[in-house]
Amino acid sequence: MSTVIKLDDKLKAQMADILETTDMALFVRTSDESMHDWEREKIVEALMRETVIDRDTAILISKEVEAEIIKSGIKMVTAPLIRELVNAKLIEKGLEDARKMHTRLGMPIYDVDQLILHPNKENANVPHGPEATNLTLAETIKKEYALLSVFSDDVSDAHMIGDIHLHDLGFIDRPYCSGQSLEYIKKFGLNLPNSLSMAKPAKHPEVLLAHMVKFAAALQSHFAGAIGWDAINIFFAPYIEGLSDKDVKQLAQMLIFEFSQQAVARGGQAIFTDINLYWEVPKHFEDVEAIGPGGEFTGRKYSEYIHHSHRFVKALFEVYMEGDGSGRPFFFPKPLVHITEKFFKTEGHEEFLNLISEVAAEKGNTYFVFDRGETAKISECCRLSFKLDENDLKDAKQPWRMRYCALQNVTLNLPRIAYKAKGDDARLFAEIYRLMELAAKAHRQKKDFIEKLLSHKEKGPLALLTMERDGIPYLRMHRATFLMGMLGLNEMVQYHTGYQMHESKEAFKFGLKVIAHMKLITDRLSKTYGMRFVLEQTPAESTAYRFAKLDIMRYPKEAKDVIKGDISNNEIYYTNSTYLNNSVEINPIERVRQEGLFHPMIEAGSLTHVWLGEAKPSASSLSNFIKKVFRFTLNDQIAFSPEFTTCNSCGRTSRGLSDTCVYCGSSDVDGITRITGYFTKISSWNKGKLGELKDRYRNKAFINQGEI
Amino acid sequence: MGSVKIFVKPGCHFCPAAEKIGEILKSEGFPVFHYNIETPDGLAEAAFYSVMATPTIILEDESETTVAQWRGVVPQLDEIKSYLR
Repeated sequence: MSTVIKLDDKLKAQMADILETTDMALFVRTSDESMHDWEREKIVEALMRETVIDRDTAILISKEVEAEIIKSGIKMVTAPLIRELVNAKLIEKGLEDARKMHTRLGMPIYDVDQLILHPNKENANVPHGPEATNLTLAETIKKEYALLSVFSDDVSDAHMIGDIHLHDLGFIDRPYCSGQSLEYIKKFGLNLPNSLSMAKPAKHPEVLLAHMVKFAAALQSHFAGAIGWDAINIFFAPYIEGLSDKDVKQLAQMLIFEFSQQAVARGGQAIFTDINLYWEVPKHFEDVEAIGPGGEFTGRKYSEYIHHSHRFVKALFEVYMEGDGSGRPFFFPKPLVHITEKFFKTEGHEEFLNLISEVAAEKGNTYFVFDRGETAKISECCRLSFKLDENDLKDAKQPWRMRYCALQNVTLNLPRIAYKAKGDDARLFAEIYRLMELAAKAHRQKKDFIEKLLSHKEKGPLALLTMERDGIPYLRMHRATFLMGMLGLNEMVQYHTGYQMHESKEAFKFGLKVIAHMKLITDRLSKTYGMRFVLEQTPAESTAYRFAKLDIMRYPKEAKDVIKGDISNNEIYYTNSTYLNNSVEINPIERVRQEGLFHPMIEAGSLTHVWLGEAKPSASSLSNFIKKVFRFTLNDQIAFSPEFTTCNSCGRTSRGLSDTCVYCGSSDVDGITRITGYFTKISSWNKGKLGELKDRYRNKAFINQGEI
Repeated sequence: MGSVKIFVKPGCHFCPAAEKIGEILKSEGFPVFHYNIETPDGLAEAAFYSVMATPTIILEDESETTVAQWRGVVPQLDEIKSYLR
């Protein structure tokens, strides 16, 4: 809110004589379009309301500020300026805590101007438009608020200097990401706090889909990141029964288009949606009573609906294969197919594996999630997955209870730790420990803040997450996880040992030791604080660039030797999480194997990217590749990423990245490929990711040899 | 001569038996390395060899190629020795 105070000349003359005046005539313009008179007492009131200083000091400061305004002779005084003058007085008097509490949040007019005119490239999933501007403005203020008010100074400072990164600070008043069960809305309908109408459980498949989409939009307003849905094809199956193949395909098409459309709920963003899909009925759902139309139990178990779950999942992949109206891959929802021992024992799996491999080769959509052994695993959101324990298996009998969240992600800048350690192992491991303790502190502070918001229950800002339709709050805080991310392991190892991880066995083993150290620390911190800390491969869409930029300024001598990208045009980045160097020619199965050795230690889920570029492997090669990965590696998840050029003039899409349309020659084209864990237009990428795109090794030789 | 790598963790039921085998082999002059997977070095080595169960015993030849391995089980001493001869 901006307030403008105008002083006329006569008044200024009077004030010069009577420095203690408090009844100056003035024009105060406020954002609520009203006029107020100048009252020095307002300064006192603000100081008393917002800080903990005593009234006498507040009065003294207000008088000193008033005197300065009079003396300065300035023609216009704004409320933010008055506030800053007050803050200056607080500093003069050594009242630093009070100054912090009295801080005004907001942005310079130049920044707002830039923001309105130019796209925000911190998140490529945010289009440019008035809604996006609103989102960014709100995020900017909430970020400042978080750093000043939610986190302690040591945590905030560590973030600002780039030792750690506190993700999604602009969404400080929400948990990070979540995993949902369709069963919740199947059973309870759409009965949300503060909504204008209540819908009973859906009786028809398209209504169930509408409920799912609306609930997803409501959830997007309450979580910072991804919304994951478990076993969608299995839970839709009772509604599929009786539909013709044409209608099933139509439903699949509606689902994918609904989630892939832009300009929905928040800031014009598509909802970052994952759908988890199974060819088999997972063991933990086999004997579960199926919920059908009207929220009623159908009297049958989910294992009896396998035929219909197959029909639906096949229809979904047929739609993915076709792509959108211009043949582009759908950016969302991301389909995660779980490959398990049971997958290979379920009839029809060869044909289905071929279909999803064909989609992976053609459009790249398929994520192959490998759940080995007998232990069931659930993917919550983004990359967060976990093994079901005894309580979860009990919950699985009532699948609407299976909702999970990660409350926050804090990422460590690993290369910087190596710069500070100067080749000394002990210093390096000690610094990792120090920063992980700090990250745990940040997690505790965010947890306290969210719990404060949740304590207001259905009258509070997170009403949706406190609703108790099944007797317990929707957000199950006791199941929340707290993510410890890592960035630039390759560069850390390179600086510390002199070799990148792919260059020497010792260097690779040192990388494993770092992650082993981090894994053991998360276990210890979990015991100490009674919270579930787990390692995560941070997707680091913007963090890989941010850390690189900060380090090239703060540690130029050290960083220049290991940083990736092009320093001359600032397209710099660190290699994501525990990945091997993107640009190196490594046999893809060997890359998948080596990167997979880290995955068992990274409980929140991991992913290896296989960049395809313009090449298109055969479905059978990919299918064989998937079998090899499942049988002979410990890799958690892989995705194949082709590149496309889509033409805004003729509306057609071609394979590979080019400056002009191969069909009509227009230069009005967009490149499309995965930035991290999702597809998006390259024009929205930040400079760091553009640098990485140039470096990516696209496996052409291996694809030509039929290796993939 | 290659080496014997033994992966254990505290509280694991069959690990003491695996460790005992390691001690015997060591006393007979074989190069034996013990790894506790609850230490960073041990866990890192376990990750490198994809060890998912304890105890695990891995025999390598001079060129660090695995010649035999027992994962989650403890072999007879003679069985191991048959590979080491």
